[in-house]
Amino acid sequence: MSKINFYLLEYAYSYILRHKNKNIFIVTIFTLLVALLTTLFFVTSSLRYELKERIANQSDIIIQNYKAGMPAAIDISVLNKLLEIKGVTAGKLEIDGKYYFKPKESIFYLLGVDAFEMQNDPMVIKLLEKYELSDSEILVSRNVQDIMHQAYYKEYFNFIKPDGSLQKVSIKASFDVGERVELKNLIIMNKDTAREIFGYGVDEGSGIALSVANKNELESISSKIRLLLPNAKVTSKDELLLEYEKLFNYDSGVFLSLFVIALFTFFIIIYDKANGLSSEEKREIGILKAIGWCIEDVLHAKFYEATLLSFFSFILGLGIAFVYVFIFKAPLLGRIFIHENMLEIHNFQLNIHIELSYILLIFLLSVPVYIAATLIPSWRVATLDADEVMR
Amino acid sequence: MIKLKNVSKIYGKNIKALQDISLEFSEGELIVLKGVSGSGKSTVLSLIAGLSKPTAGEVIVDGKKISKMLDHFTASYRRENIGIVFQKYNLIPDLSVEENVLLPLFPLNLSRELMRQKAKRVLEIFSIAHKVSLMVRNLSGGEQQRVAIARANINDPKIILADEPTANLDEKLSREFIEILRELKSKKRTIIVATHDPLFFELDFVDRVINLEHGKLL
Repeated sequence: MSKINFYLLEYAYSYILRHKNKNIFIVTIFTLLVALLTTLFFVTSSLRYELKERIANQSDIIIQNYKAGMPAAIDISVLNKLLEIKGVTAGKLEIDGKYYFKPKESIFYLLGVDAFEMQNDPMVIKLLEKYELSDSEILVSRNVQDIMHQAYYKEYFNFIKPDGSLQKVSIKASFDVGERVELKNLIIMNKDTAREIFGYGVDEGSGIALSVANKNELESISSKIRLLLPNAKVTSKDELLLEYEKLFNYDSGVFLSLFVIALFTFFIIIYDKANGLSSEEKREIGILKAIGWCIEDVLHAKFYEATLLSFFSFILGLGIAFVYVFIFKAPLLGRIFIHENMLEIHNFQLNIHIELSYILLIFLLSVPVYIAATLIPSWRVATLDADEVMR
Repeated sequence: MIKLKNVSKIYGKNIKALQDISLEFSEGELIVLKGVSGSGKSTVLSLIAGLSKPTAGEVIVDGKKISKMLDHFTASYRRENIGIVFQKYNLIPDLSVEENVLLPLFPLNLSRELMRQKAKRVLEIFSIAHKVSLMVRNLSGGEQQRVAIARANINDPKIILADEPTANLDEKLSREFIEILRELKSKKRTIIVATHDPLFFELDFVDRVINLEHGKLL
């Protein structure tokens, strides 16, 4: 089997064409199965990748205050208490949050920064090195800039404060967030400006971010904080990851139905193939043997036939899944995989990120199985006496 | 050249196709195996072609024990030495005439040019070259048989085996086939025809007629 025999390859190809109807059915089911599985893997690996990217720039532990089950301001005195916990190396009061811009029904993410505090996000660090912000200036992402332009805000913007008064700021510059789609609605401003917009007091913020020296202690330190602040929501980096992953709330019922149907049909094909050949197929193998083909030649041709068919279906399924997920952004089925919040509130997007190990797994689960299911019955028939096959 | 020594063949549990028969065929002979259906004629051809193995006894061709050969060797023996013309032609209907004729050579992976030459030669000899690109299913019975004969001769085999070759032909086409056999015999081919068609029994170029009944020689 070392050298490609093009005559056998052509024979295999013609065999596929000669049994067109049956093979179109096989290709359809095979492709559908591969496309379904690949879609699932493409979606999950793409979202997981984005998730990891997001988490990478997060603080180790984030504490938010809750009153009557609602998010509430947190006082700086809490930070001093938390810094006394062993293992906590640094902490800062954060002022950030969502701002609903009604005219364009958009949600902006406001981040208050202090040029003298350490930042986690490399993009924010770069921006602060480049621009010095006064209390009346903001930096906006390109997307925010576009939204503001549509509402005729070009050089300045008016935020509406909780008491109904306006906070006027000038737009100093806009920035590109690249593939960081979670930051596409980001507005950066000084902490005091953000405090004014959200209506926090002088020593208040939206949360506290802590750094921990040993990442293995995240859980135990989080537990200590929970005991110390029973009303607070304490989220470690690990928990954040889990929380996000819970949003992969795909509707397993619908997906499983589709998957099981495709898998079931695929295995019926496999079962049907493995259980024997039709009398016509047997006769053809008998003819080939009678005119001088040996068992190896028959298997060689059958190998080409199964490889052509399964490889074609595999590549087609892969291509369909790629176009469906990354070009069309998984319409209809995408909602099965991704919770609506994921796309709309968390701004998750399906960027191209493919894990080859998954592709390999799907390949191993389909192509070799089909090849084996084609070769085994052909081998059984080819090992019989040719006259027995033809009688 | 071809020897069957005390050969028996039993199909399934107890269908005795041949019972302890011994036969010899010399090079260049044309032998007709005569007998009714089920007499064992086709089984003799099948054993000589190496398509099946005897239950007992030996089949020897040119000193080689065909009945003891492994599949790989039997296949190449068949490809190099044997040309078979089947009763139902056993062509692949959805392949072209040329593809059917060249089918035995596919595993050899020869050059395209050589393949084309070989196909052209046999198709011309058996007067079917004008139909080279047609699908076999679109040919008449007589034409299909010519294709089957051309395929059997693609490798210039020493031995031609024909199993009821005229069973599906009218008298005119049967006579044409007999003429083809005459030509092949003139080329010193050993030809064994299994038939119960009376046309063959009185041909002047037939060397021997062997009678078989219930798997035994008469």
